[in-house]
Amino acid sequence: MLKLMKYEFRKTMFSKTILLVITVIAELLLLAGIVLDRDNGIGFGIVGLVLCASFGILYIGLESLLVFQKDLNTKQSYMLFLTPNNCFQILGAKVIENGLSILLGGCFFLVLGILDYTIVLTHYGELKDLLTMMKLLFSSIQIEINITTIDVIVVVLELLSSWLMTIVTGMLAIVLSATLFAGKRFSGFVSFVIFLLMTWGCMTVINHLPELSGLLDSLAALVFTTLMYLIAGWIMERKLSV
Amino acid sequence: MLECNEITKSYGKKLAVDHVTMKLEPGHIYAMLGPNGSGKTTLMKMAVGLVKPSSGEFTYQGNPVDKESRRAIAYMSTEPYFYSWMTASDVGKYYRDFFADFSMERYLYLLERMELTPDMKTKTLSSGMMAKLKIAVTMARKAKVYLLDEPLNGIDLLARDVILQSVIEECTPDAALVISSHLVDELVRIVDTAIFIKEGRLVLMGEVEDFRTQMGKSVVDLYREIYGHTGAEAESEV
Amino acid sequence: MEYNTAIPIYLQVMDAIKRDIVTGRMSPGDKLPSVRDLAVQYSINPNTVSRVYRELEMEHVCFTRRGTGTFVTEDGERVAQLREDMAKDLVQGFLAGMRQLGLTSEEAEELLRRYDTDARQ
Repeated sequence: MLKLMKYEFRKTMFSKTILLVITVIAELLLLAGIVLDRDNGIGFGIVGLVLCASFGILYIGLESLLVFQKDLNTKQSYMLFLTPNNCFQILGAKVIENGLSILLGGCFFLVLGILDYTIVLTHYGELKDLLTMMKLLFSSIQIEINITTIDVIVVVLELLSSWLMTIVTGMLAIVLSATLFAGKRFSGFVSFVIFLLMTWGCMTVINHLPELSGLLDSLAALVFTTLMYLIAGWIMERKLSV
Repeated sequence: MLECNEITKSYGKKLAVDHVTMKLEPGHIYAMLGPNGSGKTTLMKMAVGLVKPSSGEFTYQGNPVDKESRRAIAYMSTEPYFYSWMTASDVGKYYRDFFADFSMERYLYLLERMELTPDMKTKTLSSGMMAKLKIAVTMARKAKVYLLDEPLNGIDLLARDVILQSVIEECTPDAALVISSHLVDELVRIVDTAIFIKEGRLVLMGEVEDFRTQMGKSVVDLYREIYGHTGAEAESEV
Repeated sequence: MEYNTAIPIYLQVMDAIKRDIVTGRMSPGDKLPSVRDLAVQYSINPNTVSRVYRELEMEHVCFTRRGTGTFVTEDGERVAQLREDMAKDLVQGFLAGMRQLGLTSEEAEELLRRYDTDARQ
């Protein structure tokens, strides 16, 4: 399955490279602005970086589904379906690759953000001010940490489960549309509609669950996700003709 | 080895494959004959799982075709299908990654014989070169069953010889090759069994030699009989 | 090799091999190509080649040693007989052709002498 993931990554490498290039440009603008003391540069740089981070991560997440749509509705499907892999492996590889890409992208922008924040601060504040600020920051975090570790975990789990559910719902929608409409031009539109319907359906059920704990929502989402993953895999394996 | 039993594929009311029963044995080179649209391609695609039958199934070594059978069955489609960002070398590496029976050495050798180079981009290939690339990567596998859909289409004479040679070389006692074509003449000397498909049905299957000795007819004669305008009458006789 | 589609391919290949033996291109005891190699060489099905070798063996033109391959017969007399048989076919074909033209055997012989450029020298 690692090999499947390798090729999933290579399919999206072009757009990831573009994103990297734009990010580098924005970063250079920021750095130039700091060095040359030009507010414009700093402003544009920061805006650019924020846009790259937000839209970039969003696109990385979305691209997986766009690639999948193409994989099922064009002859490129043969590349996947002629190999000795079953559809669960194919879907799994896509989901994992997508997750890893988002994670890596997120970490990259986080680190970049921290670095840039430090640089900006170092440049504009006195060094002493910076150190004081950092001390305050750390102590405040320390106080918070003991109370909110569990909350952090819950938030992470919720993010994880909602992202997973989104991806898998999207994939099931695409599988259904491809099975029913076999590469016709409107199949993309149909998958989007199906996706919306299914997401609405799942969310409705989740919202009606008793408010026991934040974890229950995530659990329900995971259950739905697993169900949809199994259904999507089964349809792909048994019913889908490419 | 690879067989189907009353396999059917319908698209709406149209029967693309109509209750075909067929058995393929190793050590033979089969010609699957019939005009375009007769169902040959659909049959082959069902054997590798690209198309799912409406009823019936293909089995390989007794089991329904699935990811395991795809390890041993090599299929070459008529349509181009490689990822557009790939070079010929990338295509080879992809096959090497997924197929244990793929030989990079043989692939590079076939590329050279067909006058292709590993750095050529699939995006920029002409249809003839794409056809050669497809066959090269397929024949570089040491599969147990080869299903080649119109492998000689759009191929120049010299490359054709390379392909036929490689087909003959892969015909070992434990492998079977099926070549589908509407060009009968070129195939006749390398195949030993002919399968005639008409309008989704298997109308005749037998060894080329038997046709000659028992019916006094060559494959070309039979082709004319079955698919010519007298086809309807000939079918009932046959 | 171009094939005549009216005659079974295996017969044509057998004929070609016999020709090679009779003309001396292949000597008694020479090893014939493997089934696969001959199939590639003549661009034909390997099963056809197997048949060719089987038939040649039945006619004692070749013999097979298990595990080693197929060889041209070492029997010089057999080769001579083969040459005679092939020559006989040609002669009978020639005479039949002449008869079709309405010529007698004597007339055919006379034409033969007249047009045999080698004999005149």
